Amino acid sequence: MSSLKELQDLIHEKYGIEPSKLDPNASMRETGGLDSLALAEFLFAIEDHFGITMPDEDANIDTLNELAVLVDKVRAAKTA
Amino acid sequence: MKHEVCVTGLGVVAPHGDEPGALFQALLDGQSAIQPIFPELPKPAAAATVAFDETRWFTKLQLAGVDRVSQLAVAAADLALRDAGLAPNNDADPERVGIYAGCGMGGAAALEAAYRGNGRVSPLTIPAFMPNAPAAHVAMRQGVQGPVLTYSVACASSSVAIAEAAKAIERGEVDMAIAGGSEALIVPGVVLAWQAMQTLASFQPGEAAGAVRPFASDRSGFALGEGAAFLVLESAERARGRGARSYATLAGWGLGSDATHLTKPDAPGQARALRQALRQAGLQPRDVGYCNAHGTATRIGDVVERNALADVWGDDLGSLRVSSTKALHGHMLGAAGAIEALITVLALHRRQLPPNANCSEVDPACSLNLVTPHDTSAPNIEAAMSNSFAFGGTNSVLLFRRP
Repeated sequence: MSSLKELQDLIHEKYGIEPSKLDPNASMRETGGLDSLALAEFLFAIEDHFGITMPDEDANIDTLNELAVLVDKVRAAKTA
Repeated sequence: MKHEVCVTGLGVVAPHGDEPGALFQALLDGQSAIQPIFPELPKPAAAATVAFDETRWFTKLQLAGVDRVSQLAVAAADLALRDAGLAPNNDADPERVGIYAGCGMGGAAALEAAYRGNGRVSPLTIPAFMPNAPAAHVAMRQGVQGPVLTYSVACASSSVAIAEAAKAIERGEVDMAIAGGSEALIVPGVVLAWQAMQTLASFQPGEAAGAVRPFASDRSGFALGEGAAFLVLESAERARGRGARSYATLAGWGLGSDATHLTKPDAPGQARALRQALRQAGLQPRDVGYCNAHGTATRIGDVVERNALADVWGDDLGSLRVSSTKALHGHMLGAAGAIEALITVLALHRRQLPPNANCSEVDPACSLNLVTPHDTSAPNIEAAMSNSFAFGGTNSVLLFRRP
């Protein structure tokens, strides 16, 4: 289970960023144009979308792939 | 050296649209933007709201944490700069430009969403709500690096902001100012609070549009409005230097406090502000042809304003034509002073006066030379003023002259 596709869809729906425009391995801040405020809001939207609670200690996540791995982990822990 | 202050740009996002000429025409035609809202509330409510397309100004990403009150401000300020011929290519030194923005409440929608979120609160609620967010967003959008200031003085907020901007230009602290304000608090919680304050107009079903009747015998209060308006102010030297059109000169302003009561208006306090504005402009009362009144259509407020005008104008009161445009665009609170200043500037520029709508029978205690719908021409007008009198007791008067 990878949440990457769903995250790409969510970021498209919420911020109008096409999946092809945001390299999953690139910095969301530097290449995606998501500043710290937009990222905070995006994490909030992720929680709503997946019905999960994101851990606070991973605030230094920088790429969409890293985010997808974390979301996978949280979702797996929830279903376990 | 004192610099003369010119109004070189006008921008508005109002219940009557975002084109100043169309707004002014709607007022001349007596078109009310007030309509029923929130039918789910226990008591009937009405307000003048803005049909705003935020995608004209923001990408979805840019909207993260930007409350409607800031969105309206960014749009109106951008329109003002475009009108002045300064956007997108502003030639001013960014450090010599200031933003002076009025806002009464801040991001009401963000706060309302926090209360109603059943514990789910957006992490951007605070930056969205903070009352200085509108000014900050305008600064980021326009690259303004001088003073970026917010004035929260209830119903006088943006009138005070414009006066403060004019002072900064007059003293030479900035070359250019984007001055005005925004308010967007038409959300159920805030409307309920205003209803509880007992200052809103009552109305029968189907009659919301005519609910606000300034200076009329049957007046019962105001309706809330939302929107934003900004003026571009420049020193006369700078405006002349770049060949800018000047709509008007901001020749005088009066700022003072009643220091008597938090919400009850006070004629002597208002008269002090009126005299101060006249004195600064070097004008006599008879020189002023039009007053855009504060005119909230409350039982007490209109009489007190009339008495203040009568005190200062004396035997010349009949020569002063008066109207309150709140009858048509509602009370925009923190943005009221700015939109009414903009309307006053247009009245002077076009030599036409917006009528005092919905006043079929003038209250004898409010006897003024009210502008009637069929007599709006003012071919000889040279000066006009806008009154803003706030809860908290602060009074602000802006006095404009033809350039």
